[in-house]
Amino acid sequence: MATDPDNIENLVNRRYRHGFVTDIESDSLPPGLDEGVVRAISARKNEPEFMLEWRLRAYRHWRKLKEPTWAHVHYPAIDYDAISYFSAPKSDADRPKSLDEVDPKLLETYDKLGIPLHERARLAGVAVDAVFDSVSVATTFKAKLAEAGVIFCPFSEAVQKHPELVQKYLGSVVPQRDNFFATLNSAVFSDGSFVYIPKGVRCPMELSTYFRINAANTGQFERTLIIADEDSHVSYLEGCTAPMRDENQLHAAVVELVALKNARIKYSTVQNWYPGDENGVGGIYNFVTKRGDCRGANSKISWTQVETGSAITWKYPSCILRGDNSVGEFYSVAVANNYQQADTGTKMIHIGRNTSSTIVSKGISAGHAQNAYRGLVRVMPQAAGARNHTQCDSLLIGKDCGAHTFPYMEIKNPSARIEHEATTSKISADQLFYCRQRGIAEEDAVNMIVNGFCKEVFKELPMEFAVEAQNLLNVSLEGAVG
Amino acid sequence: MKPLLSIDAVRTAVQQLPDNGLAAARLAALTRLDADGLPTATHEDWKYTDLTRIVDVSNRWLAAGATTMPVADAAVAAITDQFAASWLVIRNGMVDARSIAKFAQSDVRIDLLSASDKALECDAPLSGLNVALLQDGLAIRIPANIEHAGTVGLLFIDHAAADVGVSQARIVIELEGGSAADFIEYHSSTGDAAHYANTVIELRLADGARCNYVRVQDRQAGHDQTGRLTATLGADSRLQHAAFDLGGNLVRNDLDIKLVGRGSATSFSGLYLAGREQHVDNHTRVDHLVGPTHSEQEYRGIAADAARCVWNGKAVVHRGADGTNARQANHNLLLSAAAEIDAKPELEIYADDVKASHGTTIGELDQGALFYLRTRGLDEAAARCLLMRAFAEKIVVRSPLPAIRQTISEKVAERVAALIVGDAK
Amino acid sequence: MLEIKNLNASIGGSEILRGLSLCVRAGEVHAIMGPNGSGKSTLAQVVAGNDAYVVNSGSLLFDGQDLLALEPEERARRGIFLGFQYPVEIPGVNNAYLLKAAFNARRKHAGLSEIDAFEFLKLAKEKMAMLDMDPKFLNRGVNEGFSGGEKKRNEILQMAILEPRLAVLDETDSGLDIDALRAVANGVNALRGPDRAIILVTHYQRLLDYIEPDFVHVLSDGRIVRSGDKSLAPELEEKGYDWLREAANA
Repeated sequence: MATDPDNIENLVNRRYRHGFVTDIESDSLPPGLDEGVVRAISARKNEPEFMLEWRLRAYRHWRKLKEPTWAHVHYPAIDYDAISYFSAPKSDADRPKSLDEVDPKLLETYDKLGIPLHERARLAGVAVDAVFDSVSVATTFKAKLAEAGVIFCPFSEAVQKHPELVQKYLGSVVPQRDNFFATLNSAVFSDGSFVYIPKGVRCPMELSTYFRINAANTGQFERTLIIADEDSHVSYLEGCTAPMRDENQLHAAVVELVALKNARIKYSTVQNWYPGDENGVGGIYNFVTKRGDCRGANSKISWTQVETGSAITWKYPSCILRGDNSVGEFYSVAVANNYQQADTGTKMIHIGRNTSSTIVSKGISAGHAQNAYRGLVRVMPQAAGARNHTQCDSLLIGKDCGAHTFPYMEIKNPSARIEHEATTSKISADQLFYCRQRGIAEEDAVNMIVNGFCKEVFKELPMEFAVEAQNLLNVSLEGAVG
Repeated sequence: MKPLLSIDAVRTAVQQLPDNGLAAARLAALTRLDADGLPTATHEDWKYTDLTRIVDVSNRWLAAGATTMPVADAAVAAITDQFAASWLVIRNGMVDARSIAKFAQSDVRIDLLSASDKALECDAPLSGLNVALLQDGLAIRIPANIEHAGTVGLLFIDHAAADVGVSQARIVIELEGGSAADFIEYHSSTGDAAHYANTVIELRLADGARCNYVRVQDRQAGHDQTGRLTATLGADSRLQHAAFDLGGNLVRNDLDIKLVGRGSATSFSGLYLAGREQHVDNHTRVDHLVGPTHSEQEYRGIAADAARCVWNGKAVVHRGADGTNARQANHNLLLSAAAEIDAKPELEIYADDVKASHGTTIGELDQGALFYLRTRGLDEAAARCLLMRAFAEKIVVRSPLPAIRQTISEKVAERVAALIVGDAK
Repeated sequence: MLEIKNLNASIGGSEILRGLSLCVRAGEVHAIMGPNGSGKSTLAQVVAGNDAYVVNSGSLLFDGQDLLALEPEERARRGIFLGFQYPVEIPGVNNAYLLKAAFNARRKHAGLSEIDAFEFLKLAKEKMAMLDMDPKFLNRGVNEGFSGGEKKRNEILQMAILEPRLAVLDETDSGLDIDALRAVANGVNALRGPDRAIILVTHYQRLLDYIEPDFVHVLSDGRIVRSGDKSLAPELEEKGYDWLREAANA
């Protein structure tokens, strides 16, 4: 297909002749994916040539790939031609410049979810880069961060202002060809966050982004890249929400973390994408590739996730422990209720000497949900002194749900010490009776016991996130007992 | 491109087999094998075990005329004399009729598979290959409420000299309601040429039956083996199983237990001791189809030299199987930089009144214990040997059939000692 | 306060209580003794409302209200407290958190305002000092990794904080050393008062040296075979339960 990347109008019109509805006034691209769409996305963002070429390479490879089927999830085939790959708020000129200009309805939604963005930003000193249907709508505290030399901006802005960093690190942790969804993301990613912490800097505040899928039939393909240079520290919070819709929506994000020598990255996620209704109608398909590279000696990457949303979750935040003495951590609570399906876990790849990793996974299944932990611990032959401890517990609430564990351990160094423990059980009748004898209602007792079950993970979350996570857990399990 | 099993050559070999009661089953299995082929690494259950070598040996054997070599009586006696058991012997896939005759007065009923009307399990790809090339096999039956005294020995012995050899063997064992019997299954081989043995045991325990079962595999260093045991357990029946893998080259064992009757329970364990370039893969799967049912397993392994050991334990608790208890444990010692341990403990649970757990450890010998022993005057090799034996002995003492534990313990000790010196060639 | 009439109850199909009757008035301390398997724990569990036990017949009134119609938490909020023989571990659930939730559930039921964490901690620390307990207890998971003695003290702490109207203590003395036994007795004695009643379920007389009961009942085969004052306990200790069983069958 001979196309002129500069002539987007022609392309769009040509597509229109093929029957696609194109409303030039609209900011969504018509559904479907071909090279033209990739070029259109790149052109809208006014990207440099290297970015377009990068996207096109990914797209061409993606055409050759088949969607993976190994996960313990079942869903009707996704029609990738029925998805619109780009959607922006009304028009660039109307984009809010500050929180005050943000659509009050959006803020109201945040409020309902117990996320008073306004309050949080002011009181908690959190800088928020909210991604509203793919394009950043509000960025705060930039000045304070800039003072420390921290770069925290929408990905698209980083492409314009810091192309050398983007070019150096983009795809260096999650290669373009990593997997079906990551490759798709590489071709069509809309926006996301970019963070660079310079050498020796402790980021002066927690960085936070809320992702939210708004428009119907819009895939969300954010791409986040965080680079912690030598001796730097950063804590990053990601929250995800989506309004209710009948149709399933695709979300295929990529997050890449790079920790250089002595650097620390803590990445916390509270994922509450719309899970579908109690009959399993609607909900987000969440196919996410998250990976951190402990590239330098003594670096540390810690993932903490609370996954309560999405119809389908397919997500394995991983650590490549390349630097000597580097540390990887994964703390996860995954809740699946009604007809939700979750297949989530982590990979810890030990390459450097004296690397260590910790995995704590708590899965809760209720209703008709299926919840699987899938994890890999691989110790390479050169990884002398590697350590891993994995604790993987499942809690069952109800007769029709499922809880599964699929851990893989591949150990090639004799000085490694690997320990894996897993348990599955239901909430014990004795525990429930004990709480009720103390005057606590059954549902509250269940929430209390479930929160206790998850405590090891919640204590890893920043304080205000931990409270929200507990509330989310209770909301997610509403109606699961009784 | 991986070598593929030559189906045409298999077909030719099938046509040469004796025209007995198995002919129709062979052809059906062949058709299925032709359609499905043998599994490759993309198949989740075969992720860690590459069958290329086995396909290659099989193709060479087929090309050389698919002949069966005799196995000397002395080689048989060398094994059977070690254990107090009445032995049924299969030599290079050929049922030894004389060994059956010895059971004429016994309460154990034995028939040739070709003379029985058993439907043979053919679900796994290698099970299909087994049926297609099966000369004959055994059907063993313990009548209802009979408690058979003494141990029934099942010896699979092969020999390959000058030319490569391949053998298929299958035994169907039925314990009728309320009966009880003990078995030892032993795999042995001799000869320097390449050999591949593929065995399938089908074990069926009716309500209230009890079975103790020990499997020992001590094949020649260059010989490959795939073995599969499927067991179905009726109500209130008990299966205790222990497996010891000491020899062989590429070894893959599948233990597949279905708890179909309420109150059934199984306890099984395994020990794999691998050095050289051995590849020992144990896959276990237990299906809790009803509740209450119990399963408990513990496997232990040591990988030395350039060996690779795989353990994949899976417990599936099906919908409605309430009151289920499923426990898995797997412990490994990794002793060399060139060795590898792969462990995959899986739980799939679709019921809620369930207690399930697994624990896995992989590591080197406890340095503290090693140091302690050396301060007591043991040299390092002796200290290592002591710790490794203690590690392995945990499975020996768990195994059923106390009468043969001593012999097995000695074999384990011998194998541990060989691992320490690196299998002097 | 508590009136049990002709209570028949079973667990897993087997009948444990067979026509048990008992009347406990405010201000009284009753000791229930009896051999293993006589139904002592069953009685305690049935009063608290454990649905693993099925009440086949008889009645159970608390302040004239039918207890059998109430859920366990509703009974608790009306002031019934069960000190468990085997307190269950609830990993990850903070002891203080459970207690505060339980305390406020009762207050709410009584139409009182809930108290905040600060006030609650103050109260809890006072009670702990009285029971000679380390305040660190509050921050541990409920009974998580507690020794047998610690679990029992924790039960008494909960009782001291919740100030129940009727406390049923199921073998709270078993497995305690002498110091722990004293602490438990202190807690119980501190609770005694004209508005409250206490039922002590115990196997041995030992506890009664520290807590003087008003009445002693002997339970055998699911009903009370003998009642008396505190002097019955030493007599039992001396003669054993067989003596009573024989007397009952005679």
